[in-house]
Amino acid sequence: MTEGKVIVKNKLGIHARPAALLVRTAAKFSSDIFLTQNSMEINCKSIMNVMGMAAEPGSEITITASGEDEKEAVQKLIELFDNKFEED
Amino acid sequence: MNPLTVQNLYDDNRRSLKFENLTGHINDKKIVSSEIHRPGLALSGFVDIFTYEKIQVLGNTEIAYLDSLSKRERLIAIQRLVEFDIPCIIITNKNSVYKELLDLGEKRAIPIFRTPMNTTQFVRKIGDYLDEKFAPLITKHGTLVDIYGIGVLLAGRSGIGKSEVALDLIERGHRLVADDMVIISRRSEDVLIGSGNEVIRHYIEIRGLGVIDIKSMFGIRSIRQQKRIEVEVLLEDWDSKKEYERLGIKENYTEILDVKIPQVHLQIYPGKNITVIVETIALNTLLKIFGIHPAKEFDRRLLSKLRNKKIENKKTQDQLKEYLEHDME
Repeated sequence: MTEGKVIVKNKLGIHARPAALLVRTAAKFSSDIFLTQNSMEINCKSIMNVMGMAAEPGSEITITASGEDEKEAVQKLIELFDNKFEED
Repeated sequence: MNPLTVQNLYDDNRRSLKFENLTGHINDKKIVSSEIHRPGLALSGFVDIFTYEKIQVLGNTEIAYLDSLSKRERLIAIQRLVEFDIPCIIITNKNSVYKELLDLGEKRAIPIFRTPMNTTQFVRKIGDYLDEKFAPLITKHGTLVDIYGIGVLLAGRSGIGKSEVALDLIERGHRLVADDMVIISRRSEDVLIGSGNEVIRHYIEIRGLGVIDIKSMFGIRSIRQQKRIEVEVLLEDWDSKKEYERLGIKENYTEILDVKIPQVHLQIYPGKNITVIVETIALNTLLKIFGIHPAKEFDRRLLSKLRNKKIENKKTQDQLKEYLEHDME
């Protein structure tokens, strides 16, 4: 299992577009990927889960992945967060 | 889960319990216990095992006790009470409050609320509220649908078709509670209540189509806010090597928050009408609640048939024996 901690940096938080981007990226990997925020664990491959999390700007999120390509998956997702989902 | 504070307690119940804030200030002190306490003994001087961290309720008895004291004794009793780090004090029956209590409460920053309800009624109502707030919670990946009054939780891997089955069920007149993400809380030991996340409540994602608003599309009768979960249906990919239940005598269970609920493994392959099977699972659960167990009933019938057959066989054997013994030839 690989873990990574990120902070939501874009101005609007995880709204529909970043959520879709996250899910599309996660879906490319075969590993099971979860996001945890405030003890709420959600499936990163489900758009409804990611939107339901309603992560506001500044919130801390832990990415956990387990599977063959877990390392690449976590790294790629961290990049998305760091690039502010290509926004701002 | 965010901890419950006195502020939350006041805001959530101000209307329903007709709270009146007597000291005017409220704090963000955490409420750590789901129980309430009536501090009669603490007022009378026994504070050795005073559970001061609970919400303190002063009913008619406590107020009558304070009334019976002299002015000096009363002050000492109240001082003894507010010395502790109490979250808040609630006075029931719209009883009048001593100025000493208000002054000391204010000084020690203990909010004092008053309600016109009687103590029994009040304790029951606030008990329900606290039970709900302190109930253990988890979020589970799945879809919850009310089918003929039975709460069916559809589980299974991402993309196996939970949402599609849910949509089909809604189209047949059943009611959606939550899609994709179910918040489950345990109430009173063995009851699981599922509800949706407030952001995505009553929306469904259908792959290739996008997000659908069920309430607008199918109307108010197609949705529900919360539902007790009675059975889990685990959707699985078809695997010819896997053995699966043929009879239904042995029941599978799964545990959610330490509560056992029946679980049915359902294998999926093209051409199989999952919706009808899930509907049937709900009806079967309903029958079992009414004490009708088809697999056991079937087995009983089979056993009695076998018994009768055995008797009949014995009869034929006896006839043969008699025939041979009396050798008619």
